[in-house]
Amino acid sequence: MEMDWLLLAEVSLAGLGTGGLYALTALAFVIIYKATRVVNLAIGEILMLGAYAFFGLAAGWALPWWVAALGALAVAGVFGAVVERTIIRPMLGESPISVFMVTVGLGSMLVGVVELIWTADPHRLPEFMPNTPILIGDAFLAPKIGYGFMVAAAVIAVFVLLFRFWRGGVALRATASDQAAAYSVGINVPGVFSLAWIVACMVAAGAGILVGSIGGISSTMGVFGLSVLVVVIVGGLDSVPGALVAGLLVGLVEALAGAYLGGEFKLLATFSLLVAVLMVHPYGLFGTREIERL
Amino acid sequence: MLTMTRRGFGGLALGAGAAAALPFGGGAWAQGADIVLGGSIPMTGVFAFAGIGIHAGISDYVKIVNDAGGIKGRKLRFAFEDTAYKVDASVAVFNKLVAQEKPTLYYGDSTGFSKTINPELERNGGMIMAGASFASELNDPKKFPLQFMAGPDYTEMVGILLRYIAKEKPGAKVAFVHSDTEFGRDPIATSEKKAVEQGLKVVEKIVTPPGSVDISTEVLKLRRAAPDFTIFHGYVMAPIPEFIAQAKQMGMTSRFMGTFWSMDNSMVQKMGDLADGFMGVMPYRYYYDTEGNAPMLAKIRQMRPEYQSTAYMQGFLTAMLMTEAVKRTLESGQDLNGKTLKASLNSIKDFDTGGIIGVPISIPGNSIPVGRIYRADVQKKLMVPASDWIKLEA
Amino acid sequence: MRIATAKETYAADEALFDTAVQRVWFAILLAALALFPFLADQYWLFLAGLAAINVISVTGLNILTGYTGLVSLGQAAFMGVGAYTVAVMEARLGTPVLLNLLGGGLVAAGVGMVFGLPSLRVKGLYLAIATIAASFILHFVFANWTSVTRGVSGINVPPAAFFGMALDTPFKLYWLIMPITVLLLLGAANLFRTRVGRAFIAVRDRDISAEVLGIPLLRTKLTSFALASFYAGVAGGLWAYFFRVVTPESFPLLLSIFLLAAIIVGGMGTILGGILGAVFMTLVPEFLKLLVGFVTPVWPDAAVHLSPVRTVVFGAMIVGFLIFEPQGLAEMWRRTRRFFHLWPFKT
Repeated sequence: MEMDWLLLAEVSLAGLGTGGLYALTALAFVIIYKATRVVNLAIGEILMLGAYAFFGLAAGWALPWWVAALGALAVAGVFGAVVERTIIRPMLGESPISVFMVTVGLGSMLVGVVELIWTADPHRLPEFMPNTPILIGDAFLAPKIGYGFMVAAAVIAVFVLLFRFWRGGVALRATASDQAAAYSVGINVPGVFSLAWIVACMVAAGAGILVGSIGGISSTMGVFGLSVLVVVIVGGLDSVPGALVAGLLVGLVEALAGAYLGGEFKLLATFSLLVAVLMVHPYGLFGTREIERL
Repeated sequence: MLTMTRRGFGGLALGAGAAAALPFGGGAWAQGADIVLGGSIPMTGVFAFAGIGIHAGISDYVKIVNDAGGIKGRKLRFAFEDTAYKVDASVAVFNKLVAQEKPTLYYGDSTGFSKTINPELERNGGMIMAGASFASELNDPKKFPLQFMAGPDYTEMVGILLRYIAKEKPGAKVAFVHSDTEFGRDPIATSEKKAVEQGLKVVEKIVTPPGSVDISTEVLKLRRAAPDFTIFHGYVMAPIPEFIAQAKQMGMTSRFMGTFWSMDNSMVQKMGDLADGFMGVMPYRYYYDTEGNAPMLAKIRQMRPEYQSTAYMQGFLTAMLMTEAVKRTLESGQDLNGKTLKASLNSIKDFDTGGIIGVPISIPGNSIPVGRIYRADVQKKLMVPASDWIKLEA
Repeated sequence: MRIATAKETYAADEALFDTAVQRVWFAILLAALALFPFLADQYWLFLAGLAAINVISVTGLNILTGYTGLVSLGQAAFMGVGAYTVAVMEARLGTPVLLNLLGGGLVAAGVGMVFGLPSLRVKGLYLAIATIAASFILHFVFANWTSVTRGVSGINVPPAAFFGMALDTPFKLYWLIMPITVLLLLGAANLFRTRVGRAFIAVRDRDISAEVLGIPLLRTKLTSFALASFYAGVAGGLWAYFFRVVTPESFPLLLSIFLLAAIIVGGMGTILGGILGAVFMTLVPEFLKLLVGFVTPVWPDAAVHLSPVRTVVFGAMIVGFLIFEPQGLAEMWRRTRRFFHLWPFKT
């Protein structure tokens, strides 16, 4: 059979497009991990919360989409602050397993709350992105995926700059590299923890709005978080560039597997990639190797 | 370790207490006692949208029966619990209701449950069961002698669609898009053969992983297959809208079709303009359908002024058919048990459902192979009939 | 007040039951377990069976996570391996029940070891997420290895036959499930009186120190995976006989999370904790349902609106126990016991 290069190009573009959303969500995950060493398994559910908050404001209260989007980000930010203060802070110093299970519990609570408020029915978000197809050469790219990717890329760029130059970003990086040292130079470490959760929840909520506008929202959309877990493990839990590269990689692998092997191979491909990376590079492609001392 | 025992016995006492507290607890099979319709209903979880409708439908029909004096003077009672659409929870509910309520009729929530409970159902022998599953595997009176479904099975649904396609456009190219679940895979292999028999060409079969939202690569494949008709199966809503949106953006001319669980009017209309021209097979009439003589639909609209889903209709009709089976069994003076009830059910011929299904129905086996093609009318925001009622011969 | 429990030998100190009173209580417990099926109805027998199966699987996971410190979110998938093995052996080969269960356990142990391999290189959270991969890869195998697993529609399992009697009711199955549960629990409790079990604990507390002390990390970690998966496999095998149909969707990731939650609620790293956690978590949804039943007369649609509460409660219990009672139910039990041991001198 002759190779259909155009199909390959289109599939790759679509994969990279989804990969952008993975990268964005993975960024939220990495911010929390870097600052607080918490593996947040509820990231998919926080993403869901953001999408539902947007839905509630845009469809329920009939606000313009951009007001609703800002509102959803605000809701997620407040949520992040509350969760950090009431659930995560008391767990400081507990074993990583416990902290990670706390976020699992949190995820379950979020699903229940969303079902209580909005029922478990699937919904569609109001359309707010242009829907003329994007053509790159002859290759077709679905507009939502394309614009979603652009928004994700923009947000990621802003964050990379913030990390580099903004006081809060620098404080966050300092805390990540050495908590005690950060304390001693006068950084408000608990404040950084709160900040990390607030910012990460807002990023996740933004990703939720984008993901929801593509596939609709339902109380099970948290499974998106599973692919994101693969992304952060492949990239390295504490690496921002890792999250970005792995996000695109996982999106690409999924798309290629889906197109050439069949839809049932998508998850298999990503999780096989995960196992392979773990066996070769235990701390992911860009993750920091933890050196243990006795 | 002791706590466990205490809990066990404490629970036991509670269970016994609950059973004793029920008015007709022990002797539900005695003459004159309530007839219990038990139910494992998915009020929460991924299938909650259906479970809530089913619950309302069954409850309403039970109320109608009791307001009219019950079945031969015996009250019909609906005893149900939530399962969150999990098989083990469904089985737990079944065991609880069998122990405490002695149901003669049972409503199950999933294919998995229907298959799991089947040996126990036959061993018990005291009841018949129907449910939310239209799995083709269940449509086999030999393997599932005490079960039935209030509509066509999934293969029959796709068969009705194919029949329609073959008539509309002989030799048309057809694609199947289905989810990678038992539900999604159910009719595909058989339907492929059926399509060929109808002179249609199956140009593509696309599998999507469960819960996947991004289907852009799948649409790319679909475009290259260039089907005239695309049949979705195994979904409630997502990812159908996005599939249609992207396909239309790429200038595809395919018609898009769905099966029962993706055909609820409120779900389809959530797609907005994308729904335009979306079609599918539906064994029941919609809530708002006022055409012809439909006393039951009128009654439903009187009981519930707001739109009721197709899942509601499914529950409502299931309760109606079960009631009919009980009535026929009692009329013939037989005991109420699985065998007699199923025989009575199978004796239903050219039965008038009061308009829930547009034509008189018969239940020769485990299914009712009848359906009609409906099309979404975006202006009216309603699903409107696109064909006559299609009956598949058994 | 408990007195005269001075120990003269290490063996005595390590004994599972150190006083006559304990032995008596244990005998009473066994008698109660034996009497239970004659008093309970089908519903409570069903719950007892389900709880016992969960106890086995949770105990296995406790060996791995609670005692060896390796978090796994693959336990449900390993149960699936056991369930499929038993289903295939029972339906195709018709081999005896106990052999099938043993086979289920062993195959699961083998598969568990394969997926335990990353534990050599990664630890903690990386490992937890790596075991999620086991969940998905095994699910793929269950769903697509059609010639053996019959694909998505799954395998129907004939009833377990024991000396010609078909174990087709919860009452009859109870006599298969409960003795196996008790045996496996005693096995697990005794494990930690042996070198292997103590090595697990050493690895959990600090694996590098353990290695320095001469404990082979590779072998110990894989042994722990194998044992945990063996328990999962047997539990899965019993599950297959209990539900009589095995499909790829029977063992979702959510079940793994449930099992891990049961350890946390019960208490990590104690056998009692695993038992309490599994029983408690199995019964909680039923208690909540009972609660909904109580308010239904006042609020007829309670079932519709209160049901998502169960999802919230499940999450809240994990969070609540971790924050307020990190040692779980087992610690609450120990506190109660201590109170009686010291009574009336210290309250």
